[in-house]
Amino acid sequence: MNNGSATPLIASVCYVRVAVSEPNASARFVSDIFGLQRVADQDGEIAFRSDSRFRTVSLGRDSADGASIGIEVWDDKALEQIGGRLRELGFAVKEATTSECQRRYVQSALLTEDASGNRIDLVVRPTQSGRRYFPTRDAGIVAFHGVGLRTTDSNRDLAFWKALGAEVSDWVGDIAYLRIDGLHHRVALYPSTRNGLLYAAFEVEALDQVMQNSYFMQESQIKIVQGPGREAASRQIFLHVEGPDGLIFSYVNGMAELGEKPRLARQFPLTATSLCDWGSESKDVPELSARD
Amino acid sequence: MIQLKDVSYVRLGSPDLESAEHFATACLGLQIAGRGKKDLYLRSDARAHTLCYSEGDPRDQTVGFEVGDEASLQDAASTLEQLGHAVHAGSAQEAERRKVKAFIGFRDPTGNHVELVVRPERSGQRYFASRDAGITGFSHIGLNSTDPRRDERFWTQVCNARVSDRIGDIPLMRVNAIHHTIALVRAPKAGIQHINHQVETSDDVLRSYYFLNERRVPIVFGPGRHPTSGARFLYFKGPDGMVFEYSVGVDEVEDEATHRPRQFGFEPTSFCMWGSKPAGMALPKS
Repeated sequence: MNNGSATPLIASVCYVRVAVSEPNASARFVSDIFGLQRVADQDGEIAFRSDSRFRTVSLGRDSADGASIGIEVWDDKALEQIGGRLRELGFAVKEATTSECQRRYVQSALLTEDASGNRIDLVVRPTQSGRRYFPTRDAGIVAFHGVGLRTTDSNRDLAFWKALGAEVSDWVGDIAYLRIDGLHHRVALYPSTRNGLLYAAFEVEALDQVMQNSYFMQESQIKIVQGPGREAASRQIFLHVEGPDGLIFSYVNGMAELGEKPRLARQFPLTATSLCDWGSESKDVPELSARD
Repeated sequence: MIQLKDVSYVRLGSPDLESAEHFATACLGLQIAGRGKKDLYLRSDARAHTLCYSEGDPRDQTVGFEVGDEASLQDAASTLEQLGHAVHAGSAQEAERRKVKAFIGFRDPTGNHVELVVRPERSGQRYFASRDAGITGFSHIGLNSTDPRRDERFWTQVCNARVSDRIGDIPLMRVNAIHHTIALVRAPKAGIQHINHQVETSDDVLRSYYFLNERRVPIVFGPGRHPTSGARFLYFKGPDGMVFEYSVGVDEVEDEATHRPRQFGFEPTSFCMWGSKPAGMALPKS
């Protein structure tokens, strides 16, 4: 992943900015139901914490600069290098203005889009918080973990992510699990008829919290999109739940650690047992369903 | 004092052995060990059998406990008789049907039919399940009690059981290092309240949840986790209304000498820390 250099180009998936029709209604879901800590309200964007970072989720209105995924880049030198690579591959890359950086709580950034049109922010020095994370309810969230993205052009999107230094860990059909650190994946690309965020995943302490949240959602009459389940390839336990506007947030735990050694990506068939070892199925979200 | 070493088997009467066999193999996942004239023997671990369905009344439910040797068995018989329990000395033929060397039968104060057995048979052939439920062995039973305080005295003072934890008045009792082998459950009459088999991992508990749901086996409690023993569990209903449990991760009591039973309040979170609620299975009343 480091391509021979001492440090990687990118370090983490550090935030999701989501555009919704009713930010206040969605905010209640994110804080009161899902269990993140609401921290700020700036330029019409409501910010939430899930760990030591200042914010990992923002909710805003559907506007031109309303939605994006933040990828933390090692430093400005790496940012320049990635920018060059992406331009070479024909992707439009724009330097973020001061106000765009402020809205993102970062020091510098390149704003770009993958081939499907998913807006990706390549950011340097995202803001941390000096105070520890203290959520509204005991959902057991430990950290923002990663994202699932819809792709309409998986080959070109894969080229985009490889330019950032990501590697494919495994395939399920044409779903690609992308590794950017020692963990099995932080980004997963799901073939779809449209672009956009499929889910944002938050790591919880253990299986206990995945199950507790599952019963909590049932009692709160929140739709469970899929789970509790376990991804066959990554061994990750998951629970996908749906908030307003079809926003899917996930509790996850137990993902396999692969380490830094090169590893051949494995191909799993696109069947229900590849998507969930336990037997859970998604009825309404086609990207999460086996088409067999 | 009667020294129970472990729970050995359960014998259940059933009017329909064919349905019982289908459930035990296709759903529960046990291995058929053999058949007698009116008996179906099932394995769950290295023992020759741990569950036997016998043609008859489903109210006929017996639990067998292993004791050390025939001398202990004789001592147990006289202890029980002195206390006024009628003791049945098993005949050779009856012992053969139970695959044990010798046994006695009696009723506990609630009226539960209990057998004490010597040298239950093991099998040289390893256990090979009929479906991949991950079962590692028969482990404990829930036993009905019309008076849990009285029955706790019987199991802990006449026998060697020790209370590991209590939920309200309900004692969870061990006879070895495993957190509990007998769980008393308040009920209006005698009977076995549930039969527990251990499985390998929590994955097996969740897999079986989806598997049994798809086959329309009534799930009566779980998937969940007991805060007492720490076990992840799933309860479901088999033939004749008998409840079976899969669980994994039952704690062992580390220090026999210093262990003090913890008191849990009589409330849903004392039975499940994940938030599952029993459905179609009465929680014992305090």
